[in-house]
Amino acid sequence: MTSTVINQDLFTAAVEGLPPGQLSSHRSDAAKLFSVTGFPTARDEDWKYTRLDGAADLSNDWLASLAQHSTSTEASVMLTDAQLAPTQSINADWIIVHNGIVDAAALGQLKLPTGVNVSLIGEDSEHLALTTDSPMSAFNAALLTDGLRVRVANNVAVKKPLGFLMVDDDRSRVTQIRVVLELGDNAALRVVECALSSGVGPTFTNSVTQLQLAEGSKLDFLRLQNHALDHISTNRFVANIDKDATFTHNNFDFGGDLTRNDIVAIIEGAGASVNLAGLYLASGAQHIDNHTRVEHRVGPAVSHEEYRGILNGKSRCVFNGQAVVFEGADGTDANQANHNLLLSDQAEIDTKPELEIYADDVKCSHGATVGQLDETALFYLRSRGLDTTEARRLLTQAFAANILNLLAIDEAREYVKLQLDERVASLLGDERT
Amino acid sequence: MSTDPNKLDSLVNRRYEHGFVTDIETETFPPGLDEDVVRAISARKNEPPFMLEWRLKAYRHWLTMKEPEWAHLHYPRINYQDISYFAAPKSDKDRPQSLDEVDPKLLETYEKLGIPLHERARLAGVAVDAVFDSVSVATTFKGKLNDAGVIFCPFSEAVIEHPELIKKYLGSVVPYRDNYFAALNSAVFSDGSFVYIPKGVRCPMELSTYFRINAANTGQFERTLIIAEEGSHVSYLEGCTAPMRDENQLHAAVVELVALKDAEIKYSTVQNWYPGDENGKGGIYNFVTKRGDCRGANSKISWTQVETGSAITWKYPSCILRGDNSVGEFYSVAVTNNMQQADTGTKMIHIGRNTSSTIVSKGISAGRAQQSYRGLVRVMPQATGARNHTQCDSLLIGKECGAHTFPYMEIKNPTAKIEHEATTSKISADQLFYCRQRGISEEDAVNMIVNGFCKEVFKELPMEFAVEAQALLNVSLEGAVG
Amino acid sequence: MKTTLEVKNLHAGIGATKILNGLDLVVNAGEVHAIMGPNGSGKSTLAQVIAGHADYEVLDGSVRFNGEDLLELEPEERAREGVFLGFQYPVEIPGVNNAYLLKAAVNAKRRHLGLDEIDAFEFLKLAREKMATLGMDPIFLNRGVNEGFSGGEKKRNEILQMAMLEPRLAILDETDSGLDIDALKTVAAGINELRDPTRAIVLVTHYQRLLDYVEPDFVHVLSAGKIVRSGDKSLALELEKNGYEWVKEAVNA
Repeated sequence: MTSTVINQDLFTAAVEGLPPGQLSSHRSDAAKLFSVTGFPTARDEDWKYTRLDGAADLSNDWLASLAQHSTSTEASVMLTDAQLAPTQSINADWIIVHNGIVDAAALGQLKLPTGVNVSLIGEDSEHLALTTDSPMSAFNAALLTDGLRVRVANNVAVKKPLGFLMVDDDRSRVTQIRVVLELGDNAALRVVECALSSGVGPTFTNSVTQLQLAEGSKLDFLRLQNHALDHISTNRFVANIDKDATFTHNNFDFGGDLTRNDIVAIIEGAGASVNLAGLYLASGAQHIDNHTRVEHRVGPAVSHEEYRGILNGKSRCVFNGQAVVFEGADGTDANQANHNLLLSDQAEIDTKPELEIYADDVKCSHGATVGQLDETALFYLRSRGLDTTEARRLLTQAFAANILNLLAIDEAREYVKLQLDERVASLLGDERT
Repeated sequence: MSTDPNKLDSLVNRRYEHGFVTDIETETFPPGLDEDVVRAISARKNEPPFMLEWRLKAYRHWLTMKEPEWAHLHYPRINYQDISYFAAPKSDKDRPQSLDEVDPKLLETYEKLGIPLHERARLAGVAVDAVFDSVSVATTFKGKLNDAGVIFCPFSEAVIEHPELIKKYLGSVVPYRDNYFAALNSAVFSDGSFVYIPKGVRCPMELSTYFRINAANTGQFERTLIIAEEGSHVSYLEGCTAPMRDENQLHAAVVELVALKDAEIKYSTVQNWYPGDENGKGGIYNFVTKRGDCRGANSKISWTQVETGSAITWKYPSCILRGDNSVGEFYSVAVTNNMQQADTGTKMIHIGRNTSSTIVSKGISAGRAQQSYRGLVRVMPQATGARNHTQCDSLLIGKECGAHTFPYMEIKNPTAKIEHEATTSKISADQLFYCRQRGISEEDAVNMIVNGFCKEVFKELPMEFAVEAQALLNVSLEGAVG
Repeated sequence: MKTTLEVKNLHAGIGATKILNGLDLVVNAGEVHAIMGPNGSGKSTLAQVIAGHADYEVLDGSVRFNGEDLLELEPEERAREGVFLGFQYPVEIPGVNNAYLLKAAVNAKRRHLGLDEIDAFEFLKLAREKMATLGMDPIFLNRGVNEGFSGGEKKRNEILQMAMLEPRLAILDETDSGLDIDALKTVAAGINELRDPTRAIVLVTHYQRLLDYVEPDFVHVLSAGKIVRSGDKSLALELEKNGYEWVKEAVNA
């Protein structure tokens, strides 16, 4: 029988068994929170369409081994060339996190620009509030042993993107990784994160990314997820955005067995601007769930959001976009769109764009569509001599290109485009069953 | 359609005008609910045993259920034992056989409501089945309807006169297990309307019911069942009012529509239950389950609603598009002012091939009111060629109100074309100034702009209802600006 | 001759920004005045203040209309008294029928003047006549107010409203902007049609070209919130030739 219940005894034993250090008190606080909620279930409105049974099974196995101190905490084998590919293709300062463990040696050798400081969370978590705003972020904090803390000083605009390569290929562990980014006043940073896994058997990653954008700062964050088809991940991004700061989040989901992203942007200062863009491509039995939430706590501020999805095979995708305008957040301008291409009669899309508005001087809109490739356009291309397969591929790429065009980090464009074209081709090759 | 600005003036300057209490001795059950109450209701109505059994099953099931909490609504817990589950005008025992026999005081009530039964019915060609508290009081135009083979009668009468139809269709669209309020209604419903349109018949007139809650501390639980046989057509109008009272009153109705092959049902509602005062005291709790089943191919069910009343509204008129090529429509204007709360919308369930649905929802929120649109469009795997278009707009008037949109789209067929659009805006200062520069007062300008905002829905209403709806809207928004 | 509009020492602004700095202007019935000036000189502000836009604050001075204190009146009262503003950017009001607004406006004014309201039949007849002279398709009556109208259609709609409302003072704010030559001629003809000994017209414009078709009796040049020069129509031609810099120089000299 499958269940999303986490064994409480194993959980407590595992938390208590972790090596003591700066994170100990963070862990025990978070453990208390998690013990009350456990994993979310279908009864939670936010998890209506996504089940964490598989993740819970893997977690229970891992907690059992942790409780018996039978997992190694040593870094595992070397990364393969394929796994390192993004670091070769995208010009960035790369930091490698392998199975949730930061490659500290390589980090030590990295020459970072002045004003940028990267440390390990385990050694630098004093005066750091770890976000535990959801069951999964509390689970992460309760079992956290490693992670990154990045600080960019006031008025420092970092030219070269910072890269995070997150590789998971150890069946014996569940990865809990946390990244904290803190941008000072008027600081600017661009981040490329590539998340990969190797298909060694079912694996589960539970990540949390905390983003602090101080006044006038600017953060472009690209995340490209290309996990193997047996990988489960739950990823939470929480951004607190101060006055006149700009936050851009580009989110590409190409792989994974089950992927759940929660992207939360909290606007805390007037003049802030938020841009969320995402593309999810699913085929086979993939399940991709994107939950976004933009909180307009003050105004005026602007948020734009566009997510697109292409579904084939027996895949299921979920989009839930919330825009919340708090009382008094006058001058809010929030718009959101979600478009889906449904290519197979066994695929399913569940989309829910939500508006919650408590102020009146606002301009808010959302739109959602579900449809197919335009028959007229298909015919047009065929009449110009393209075969059906080629025509479909072109139109599907064009549909996806709308998101690619929103990509904020030029250095990554070519790599993302290559991955995208490859993924579109493999997705269209997925036999209709 | 145009409204005389003078008339508008007088409309905006009046208070909730349907708030008078008619002094008719009612025979009311003491508050409380148990199996004996259910039996007593059934006995009072001389129901056949099958009906009592059904009620008891529903009651027993209700006991196992929990009141839903998912809606975006906040209200104190309802104590279901404080409510009286039956109230009938005294004259019920010997039911009036014609209008002449109707208690003149009751007729006077209808006059005050602006529904002079004879006049309006005759002039407008409308047959009215008026439900006063819980019992249907009078039905006009039986003769003409009889000639067409149309059955339009109080529900309690249909239970006795047409048990085979009741057995076949009751609960077939909204089973008593469906939800908490539907189960409660199934156990204790007192009366309502029953409509049966035979094969191929176009109902010769619009059918209309006025519902009114009168007695204090009584719940009203009507049950409406409309069956449109193959190729038939009917338009049904429903109006609702209630007197002003300090305490909250419960209204939990169930409406079931069945449209067979090529049949069409148009169901229009103007709901103006007492909304409570400016501070949220009093008002009706309106928990309604309305669902239409497009059972046959090419059938069509269209819901149009103008919701201006009630302290709490929980209502999702829905269509099950089972028949191939069937069509579902939902046109809604909901106004919430002061402390009103509404969580309303629709469900369109696409099952048959080439089914299509249209949703147009216009929400207006003012004062400290909170309003949510909650909608579901579900396309089942077998529903090839499904189409949906949803337009969902909110207009905000004032800083303290809220407007929320929760549309669910669950699409399991790759040939579906689904479009959802939603906007939220306020009446702009530029629009108001423009109108005022043309000599129109601010209040008139607001009414004009609000009516313009709702136009797509009003044009779906039968003419005389449209005028009433427009007037109601203006009354509801009185004092919202300025 | 009877004075229609008398603006004295008008100081006004929006928020912290002061725009009008002691403006004086007298317009008599039967006259057409053109107010010209560079962008930001306060032309539109003057129009909005006379119409009573709440965003503009009057800091000093007076505006009298037929001897009455106009600043005391609500915008709709000013309109009913006969002040018409042709907007530079007429707002769209979705869903509100153009004919409905127009009829409500006409009747609001008639009620104010103690006249009987005009009935639907009479109204439509009149509206169609006026539209014909403006080259407007009657279909515009049934559309939402300015909803989806092109720039030219919006401006014609303003002139139609003016023609129907028969104001005693019409202020036309950049009514010529964004019009092609044919539309400009039609709009100008509409304005000329309304020239009347009982009516005052103020044309607010940036360019001289409207004045080729509507000949003004007086031309004023506005700069930094004051009228810096006044003259007859030749002043407009002079401006056209020498540009606004010339005025500024003349003022500073």
